[in-house]
Amino acid sequence: MPIDTNTLFKNYFSDFKNYDEVLKSNMSVNTNWDKLLNNITQMGTETLISKQKEMDWLMDENGVTYNVYNDPKGMHRAWELNIVPFIIHEKEWETIEKGIKQRSELLNLILKDIYGERELIKNGIIPPEVIFAHRGFLRQCDQIQYKTAKNLLIYSADLARGPDGRMWVVNDRTQAPSGMGYALENRFSTSRILPDIFKDINVKQPSHFFFYFNQMLIEAAPQNKENPNIVILTPGPLNETYFEHAYMSSFLGYPLVTGNDLVVRNGNVWMKSLKELKQVDVILRRVDDVFMDPLELREDSYLGVAGLLDVVRQQHVSIVNPIGSGVLENSGLIPFMNAICKYYFKENLILPSIASWWCGQKEERSYVLNNLTNLVVKRIDRSNRENIFFCEFLKPNQLEALKQEILSNPCIFVAQEKISFSTAPDFVDGKLEPRKVMCRTFSIAHKDGYSVMPGGLVRVAAERENLFVSNQRGGVSKDFWIVTDQEQTNIQSYSWDDNCKTSISGINDLPSNTAENLYWSGRYLGRALVTARFLRTVLNKISNEQYTKQKTQSESLLSLFQSVTNITSTFPGFIGEEGEDALKDPLKEILSLMIDGDRVGSFAQTLSSFNNSYYSLRNLWSKDMWRVFDGIQKIWKRFVEDDDKTSTTALIKVLDRIITRLIAFMALIEESILVEQGLLLYFIGLQTEQATMNIAKCRSLLVMNHKEQPQYEILEALLTSHESLNIYRYSYRSYLSIENVIHLVLLDKDYPKSLTYQLRRIQKDIDRLPHSEVTGKATDCQKFISEANFKIRSLNIDTLLELDAEGIIREHLDNVLAELSDLLHEMNLSISDTYFNHSYQQSQLVNQNFPL
Amino acid sequence: MEFQVIHTTSYEYESGVTFCHNIATLKPKTMLGQTLLDYKLDISPEPAEITERTDFFGNTITRFSIQKYHKELKVTAKSRILRDYTLQPDIGTSVTGKTINLENALELLKKNTPEHIDAKQFILESIFIAKITPEMKAYAEVSFKPERPVFEAAFDLMTRIFTEFKFDSGFSTIATPLHEVMKEKKGVCQDFAQIAIACVRSIGLPARYVSGYIETLPPPGKEKLVGTDASHAWFSVYIPTFGWIDFDPTNNQIPKNQHITVSWGRDYYDVPPLKGVIYSTGKNKMQVSVDIRPA
Repeated sequence: MPIDTNTLFKNYFSDFKNYDEVLKSNMSVNTNWDKLLNNITQMGTETLISKQKEMDWLMDENGVTYNVYNDPKGMHRAWELNIVPFIIHEKEWETIEKGIKQRSELLNLILKDIYGERELIKNGIIPPEVIFAHRGFLRQCDQIQYKTAKNLLIYSADLARGPDGRMWVVNDRTQAPSGMGYALENRFSTSRILPDIFKDINVKQPSHFFFYFNQMLIEAAPQNKENPNIVILTPGPLNETYFEHAYMSSFLGYPLVTGNDLVVRNGNVWMKSLKELKQVDVILRRVDDVFMDPLELREDSYLGVAGLLDVVRQQHVSIVNPIGSGVLENSGLIPFMNAICKYYFKENLILPSIASWWCGQKEERSYVLNNLTNLVVKRIDRSNRENIFFCEFLKPNQLEALKQEILSNPCIFVAQEKISFSTAPDFVDGKLEPRKVMCRTFSIAHKDGYSVMPGGLVRVAAERENLFVSNQRGGVSKDFWIVTDQEQTNIQSYSWDDNCKTSISGINDLPSNTAENLYWSGRYLGRALVTARFLRTVLNKISNEQYTKQKTQSESLLSLFQSVTNITSTFPGFIGEEGEDALKDPLKEILSLMIDGDRVGSFAQTLSSFNNSYYSLRNLWSKDMWRVFDGIQKIWKRFVEDDDKTSTTALIKVLDRIITRLIAFMALIEESILVEQGLLLYFIGLQTEQATMNIAKCRSLLVMNHKEQPQYEILEALLTSHESLNIYRYSYRSYLSIENVIHLVLLDKDYPKSLTYQLRRIQKDIDRLPHSEVTGKATDCQKFISEANFKIRSLNIDTLLELDAEGIIREHLDNVLAELSDLLHEMNLSISDTYFNHSYQQSQLVNQNFPL
Repeated sequence: MEFQVIHTTSYEYESGVTFCHNIATLKPKTMLGQTLLDYKLDISPEPAEITERTDFFGNTITRFSIQKYHKELKVTAKSRILRDYTLQPDIGTSVTGKTINLENALELLKKNTPEHIDAKQFILESIFIAKITPEMKAYAEVSFKPERPVFEAAFDLMTRIFTEFKFDSGFSTIATPLHEVMKEKKGVCQDFAQIAIACVRSIGLPARYVSGYIETLPPPGKEKLVGTDASHAWFSVYIPTFGWIDFDPTNNQIPKNQHITVSWGRDYYDVPPLKGVIYSTGKNKMQVSVDIRPA
């Protein structure tokens, strides 16, 4: 293909310095890329631009995120996938694959040796300090024996193409490698958005690899069980790759848990589920080594499980990868890898690594100190960017400081040759640009060796001349194709015969943390909806009065203002002497109730609490749910940051839009989550909150006796905020009377929005929760809710309507509502106590302060 | 000499504990010059699980968990120990051990014999002794000179710490960073031990932390009171051709029969007598008493 006439390649070489994947320096094209470039060219620039937009949209819509701490773009940054994939031909890949397998086997043997015989040290293959000075060498893990086929079960290598045209190993990832889920999602998205780009190209699919992955997890179970309990341990929603944890959990069908969901008792690890403790056999962990056990490792960790390491020692649970494998993420090993390879296999490394000098050796150290400006210096146990020194960019005083640091603790430093890795085309602003790329590959252990994922995750430097390729800083990814000349069945099958899935299912086994999040999601959602509707009603009322140009606020409006404060518990608000000011400018107070996120009870706060509890459940989400959820966030963010907030119409408009989406969302939850998955908890939370707010509303609007006109307006507002005005008209076909309204919103047995109906529904749902079989008695929450039901059933409308001696308030109504509200509150507390059980916090017997 | 040691640690929990996991490093070693005759660990309330194992450094550690609600935890270790320091190698009679100078010692250590490999990990930084400051190195270099015998230098370092640092039990906690102790020259036995270790490591020799007990003698004519003893800590230096030799900077002496060794490690972090994770909301109050007397 003539490159010079292809507009996509305009300026591709303008400041070309590097080895490029596609274009050789004589302007000929690497033939492996021919077909792909052809397909891209045929699509044309316009199509490519729109496809890239569509891709960005899809990633956003599907909620593929990568969290970046302190990111101005917000916690949940959308994952970026460039539409131009990265290609390696099968012929070359075969060698790379061999190299990855060789390195996997090698690292496995090293891991076994380091925590076992330490022959490598005894026989002088590696200097002792490379291991003993590495913070990842956990003495607590010494001599632990494993029953799994290999010690190293998952291995991930970062590869990049060196100046000699071969793929080099840049990093080893052995603790809890990330990226598999992103790689899978990248492939799904590329197939969906760009089916044409695959035309005439045979791309290998990773379905077999994931089959092996699942098999490895099952076989890791120490007791060789048929249905082992496998869980995925995440540090939680704040972790940068939380999307992937949730994604893998729903893809593989294993529960996603946090350290708080697990507990060690009687020599086993247990998952706290709604009903009971359930023994766990395998933990696929995304938590780093030292955080895994606060008893033996980092004492300040809340991400792990106290006592876990001893269960591992007793071989009652398998951790994938085993705790302690972080010692292999060790640039101090690099200079010795070839010698280790010869020691074990009598052969050379297939994949080269960057020339490296360990400063613990005298000659190497003096070489490093004399050539510092040409080198890249790292700590052996820290490979993140903050601990990498690109010496060519250091000022003389910084260089001197680094020299001193090396001299004072030489064993922990390694220097590496400065390497310029290859670039590949990236589609940017309508044309192709060369960008540095890094390939993350994955291998999985099984009895006879390792299986390698065909392809993996390719990450691209964020800017054209950028040296670093890292997701920690954001960045872009690519689909990674291994192309072959053989026809591939491009059917992606990810279902395999798996008899393991049934092991954890049903409400009894629901992790109690998930149950709790569902329950709170329900409560916050209920609160958000009721609050939004009530505020909208009040705003409409203000708007009407402005329209009729009334001079003073009517009695009914005053009542409504005060009930806003009551319902949201945002005192003083409109109430009492301190409320006088608010009444002078009611819109200001209402706006504050809407957008002041720091104010307890505000709509903004409810919404953000809802977001938090909901976000930590994302393994249960469907794509539609994400879309609506994200829609709410976006509307709200725009409103808070940009929109006009001065007119009632603007406020009403945003509430309208949010309310519609909240309702859509509620409907989606009901159709997307099974009762066994915890929908019951969500319902209980939702109904309880709605019932509680219903009571608060009635107490503040129906207890006071009013004259006819204001009474009418108040009843109308109540029914409107309750979305019940039409039902009322249909049912009673009469003028609004307090008697009928009380009947409809409190006593009607068949109307789903009446309190009677809600309480009955709560009771039904609570009865379905797992109960302790030992006692066989009703739980406290059952007692409270049945008492509430009994109370409301025995109410008599005439008594409720009775006024006190002064004729001002309906005392009996007020008392009954107060009692019901208390019962619901007690019930909530007892649900927490019975099912969520976190009234006790983990703490240390002795408080120490140390960085492990 | 035969000793009986009773070491009691008790915790009172303000709001009770539902569940706890603990690790105790309380069992005295049997080694050259010290034989453990009898050992019993009493824990109340009774643990649901209890296991014993040997850790990386060869210490015996006991792991236990209590699974019922309790407001007080009491751990009592009772040991009977036969101590005869004369059975240990005597540096006084070891010609090379006593005279080897720093320069030669460092040269010898370069060789990776199995013994050296094991000893050399005690040169590296450890959890509590992670940042050895230039001040610590300078302090060490007053005692350690290339031509000076290592033993003499280490003894000198011990004596300087003994005279220049003030014993002050109110100054430091286990969370006090080492450089604070160095700056203020105040602390307790474990601070002195760790300062000495930092100094020895700064010049490239292995040094380890020893945790144990010391018998205190009552003033002449008075009867010894129960519980006046305490957990103690000192340091040990590896001298090539000789081996490990202990120094007690708190008392300016080379340990003899009054010192009983429980465990050793890189620093205090490796060998805390009792640690654990508890599930509770309130505060707790700790009390320790140690009683050592000839049996």
